[in-house]
Amino acid sequence: MSSRVLTEFDLLFPHSLSEAWKILNQHGDRVTTIAGGTDTLVAMKAGYNTPYAMSLSRLPDLDYLTFDPEEGLRVGARATIAQLLDSSVVKECYPALWQAAKVFATPQLKNVATVLGNMLRASPAGDCSCAIYALGGKVLLKSESGQRRVNVDDFWTGYSQTARQPNELAVELQLSPPATNRLSAFKRLTRVNEDLAKLNIAVSLTMDGDTCTDLRLVMGCVGPTLLRLHKTEDQLRGKVLDKHALQAAIATVAEEITPIDDKRSTGAYRRKVAGVYLKRTIEQALECSEQ
Amino acid sequence: MMKEHAITLEINGVNHQINVASNQTLLELLRNQLLMPETKYGCGTGECGACTVLIDGDKAINACLTLAATLNGRSITTVAGLENNGELHPVQQAFIDEAAIQCGFCTPGMVMKSVSLLAANSNPTEQEIREGLEGNICRCTGYAKIVNAVQVASKNMVQYAGGEGGS
Repeated sequence: MSSRVLTEFDLLFPHSLSEAWKILNQHGDRVTTIAGGTDTLVAMKAGYNTPYAMSLSRLPDLDYLTFDPEEGLRVGARATIAQLLDSSVVKECYPALWQAAKVFATPQLKNVATVLGNMLRASPAGDCSCAIYALGGKVLLKSESGQRRVNVDDFWTGYSQTARQPNELAVELQLSPPATNRLSAFKRLTRVNEDLAKLNIAVSLTMDGDTCTDLRLVMGCVGPTLLRLHKTEDQLRGKVLDKHALQAAIATVAEEITPIDDKRSTGAYRRKVAGVYLKRTIEQALECSEQ
Repeated sequence: MMKEHAITLEINGVNHQINVASNQTLLELLRNQLLMPETKYGCGTGECGACTVLIDGDKAINACLTLAATLNGRSITTVAGLENNGELHPVQQAFIDEAAIQCGFCTPGMVMKSVSLLAANSNPTEQEIREGLEGNICRCTGYAKIVNAVQVASKNMVQYAGGEGGS
């Protein structure tokens, strides 16, 4: 294991989706699809073996970021984190995602890493994935035999596992259209931005005046996948999100997460701070609306 | 035996026709095959920024995490490509003038990153400089003089460009 040496593999360059599907059909789970490749190459340097790698770099038209107020935000498979950050639409209409992109890794990695790649990595610590889960949307998966849209809620099926089948290519993420009464925010607890988070949180709140009529709360780094905090959502739904309501929710958060000890933090510390950080993230979302 | 890929890659304004292996990184290509050692190997995992080069103008990327075979038809700049007819780039000059270089190992990456940052934001605040330099690690200087150098360079570049792109 050395960060100088990559494992050996055959690198394939499809020029069209049908060429890509042929490769996926032929090699199944013996081929690793690479868009930005920033995570995959690190894994390869740590000994990850794959007989084939398929680079999307010569596939045309997949690097788009387009917005329609009725249809929402469409993010192509090769669209980078930097593209999110450069977009005023993302900043205004999907603040949680913009805030996640702001603190993502490093500027060099933002220029290359893709949004869909972060989702497909399926790490419970994925920052952009955490924001995307709270905001809600669908992933478009295409194969030779057709296509299907998988709800983001159903996309992550286990640690490092997604709903994508080996013969499918994830070509687009479609985030739900924004609404003026919907607020969102993202926060991460970490040492420096370059590090993976000890804890990350994204919230999406549908408001009617001061009352929160619906909400999606997502927490990362506290389970094998990103977690929806259903119990805490139930407790806060329909309430005015004042200090008392948020304070009361802190204990509920601790009950529904399963943090472990790892390189970055301990389970006990994560459990201790999770509820407080959720409170702060909700306050951040509410504050943004006042500007 | 891995397949080789024939690529055309423009480096510092010069076109190269090269054969690269599937698993060859841009960093490995630059240092070991093309014998261009100005781009440094630091961590190999995209965390230290010592290998920072610019692609397609002024976008900063990590050469250690870029597969050379994916770069057919692209254009990259290393720190050796910054000088203009023997005259150092304002960022390079500022690093020297502000004593922002100690051991020098982070310097090529820091300089390339600074060029990229100033291309996107010609008059950055100190906070913006520090945020922009995230992903480039210096073990020696404590960063203060590097930040000074970028501030000085940003002022000099406004003059360099005849006042275009100022605040």
